[in-house]
Amino acid sequence: MNFRSIRFRLAAWHTALFTAVFALLGLVLFATVQRYVEGTILETQARRARQIAETLLANEPRTGEPYVVREIEALYAPELGDRFIRVTRSDGSVLYLSGPPNDQSFDPASVPPAGTASAAEFTRSERTADGRSVLVAAFRASTGQGPRYLVEVGTSADPVERLAGHLLWTLALGVPLVIAVAAAGGYLLVRRALAPVEEIAGKAESITQHSLSERLPVPSAGDELAALSLALNRMITRLDDAFGNSKRFVADASHELRTPLTVIQGELENLSADPHLPADLRDRVGSTLEEVERLGKIVQKLFALSRLDAGEAQSEWVRVDLAGLASSTADQMLLLAEDRNIKVSREADGEVPVMGDRARLKQVLVNLIDNAVKYTPPGGSVRLKSYRDGSRAVVEVADTGVGIPAEALPHVFERFFRVDRDRSADGGAGLGLSIVRSICAAHGGRVEAESAPGAGSRFRVTLPLAPAASAPAKPSP
Amino acid sequence: MRILVIEDEKKVAEMVSRGLRAERHAVDVAADGADAWDMVRAADYDLVVLDLGLPGMDGSELLRRIRSRNSHVPILVLTARDAMATKVESFEAGADDYLTKPFAFAELAVRIKALLRRGGADRGNVAKVADLEIDRLRQQVTRAGRRIDLTSKEYALLDYLASHPGRVLSRTMIVEHVWDQSFEGLTNIVDVYVRHLRAKVDDPFDLKLIRTVRGAGYRITDEDP
Repeated sequence: MNFRSIRFRLAAWHTALFTAVFALLGLVLFATVQRYVEGTILETQARRARQIAETLLANEPRTGEPYVVREIEALYAPELGDRFIRVTRSDGSVLYLSGPPNDQSFDPASVPPAGTASAAEFTRSERTADGRSVLVAAFRASTGQGPRYLVEVGTSADPVERLAGHLLWTLALGVPLVIAVAAAGGYLLVRRALAPVEEIAGKAESITQHSLSERLPVPSAGDELAALSLALNRMITRLDDAFGNSKRFVADASHELRTPLTVIQGELENLSADPHLPADLRDRVGSTLEEVERLGKIVQKLFALSRLDAGEAQSEWVRVDLAGLASSTADQMLLLAEDRNIKVSREADGEVPVMGDRARLKQVLVNLIDNAVKYTPPGGSVRLKSYRDGSRAVVEVADTGVGIPAEALPHVFERFFRVDRDRSADGGAGLGLSIVRSICAAHGGRVEAESAPGAGSRFRVTLPLAPAASAPAKPSP
Repeated sequence: MRILVIEDEKKVAEMVSRGLRAERHAVDVAADGADAWDMVRAADYDLVVLDLGLPGMDGSELLRRIRSRNSHVPILVLTARDAMATKVESFEAGADDYLTKPFAFAELAVRIKALLRRGGADRGNVAKVADLEIDRLRQQVTRAGRRIDLTSKEYALLDYLASHPGRVLSRTMIVEHVWDQSFEGLTNIVDVYVRHLRAKVDDPFDLKLIRTVRGAGYRITDEDP
């Protein structure tokens, strides 16, 4: 799982927020309920204590203590009401102590004494010796000559604790369950909402310069993602237009240049064929003709490139053995290498069949071999190697030449790029390698270059291997 | 011979027709498809030079019409399109040869000559330029009676030059003829092979037969330079 994904982060935030809110809510609920119930119970006890003090003990000087005791038992029956009542004289001796309550929830005898608190009326929560909790309200009864008795009325805190425990359990089980459901729901919801993003991203990844006619999927929800997808699609349309314009421009420009070039070339030829032309003029016309011819070549290459990029240049699609093609092409260029005292070696690992346009594929090899020979000093060597690599066909052209500087290497396949001016003394326009790249791309493959300046370069052409065919490949010319 | 040049670019048409007239051909020029169609029907031409990019009637449509009417007349197509793609298209439509613009007039002249000769005189079994002899049956070359050993590419180059004695052959023509279209643009290969060929054919002799024509190409001739 990607922890940085929006899906995960949203779900995590959402869960954390839920947890915090529920925890706070639980705490507040728990505290409020506990305080309310405890308060209600204590209030009841306090009312009884006050009644006993004001109705019975206030008249004690007149009625006598035994009467008070009898009346308490008769009127309040503490044992039956699961309560405890204790009346203590101001000297600390106990006037009355109720017996064990009916439900045996605590032992009144073990409730600790009230201590030295001097308030007229107070409440407290006590723990008996056997560990039971008791809620006690106390009231000081005065009989005219100042307080003489302390009346305590208490009851077991068990119901409160049971309620609190119950509540705690409910919260402890319920809250995590609710959070889990909320988290899972949130995650699924976010995932569903973001699913089109992955689809859009995947499609966007697959659109290249050559497939600009394709468009991203637009979610049908009409939401923000649909708007995003539409906006991106409009951008792709603009890119498509821009690429199309530039391709059309190159195609149109090279097309339009052809006719005037034909006229210039024809007229200059005509001129140079004139026997009355002085030798120096003839030479100048010849020199101009050379440049016109070069211009014509550039125009043709540009046009070929624009057609290749438009994907309409394959005039045939046949099975071609790259190894055989490499070997026969090298044969036809052997003298070029021998002329510079360069050795050409060929290495092939059986047949390496691909599907494609034979003439175009040969052009790739011609350009690469020509480059290798051109940039290798006399005495060096050029090595051709063809092999299968899984489902791919590979041809490598390696030389022991001057190499390509690291900063130039990424640009060697760009149009009109030259490593340096001196290298193109023969008049190349810097289009050969872009044609190689375009042909490879048109065949569903690619070309890569690596180089160690001073030690040599290696160009590697990788094309999809042709599927096994029953018919044997065409023999090489 | 009577040649019809169908070309809407006036200057190209002028250049081509002037050159062809200089080679003693009778030349008519049509500037659009409709005119051309009328002229093809009215007269009997020995050869048609057709620019595919015509206004009015499309060049390849015209090509099909001419071919359906007269299946024998050689048709050479001029085109401003990509060489490799055009090759297939124009041959399918019935062209006998094609040339992409820009082209050298010398090349057009050589191709026209080849087309006009076709079906008539065969290439001789022996080509001779001064004391140089090429025996095409045995693929043997001798000069002044001495045998010269050539590699197969050197032989093909010499054979091509010798089959057009006196004519200038451009490097592009030589590349396409001796190698193939894939070597297009690799014109220095011609210079290297010509140098090696000269070393064997010309260097031991006083009269140099293979001449360089600056800006145009090479030709083989025994004329005084």
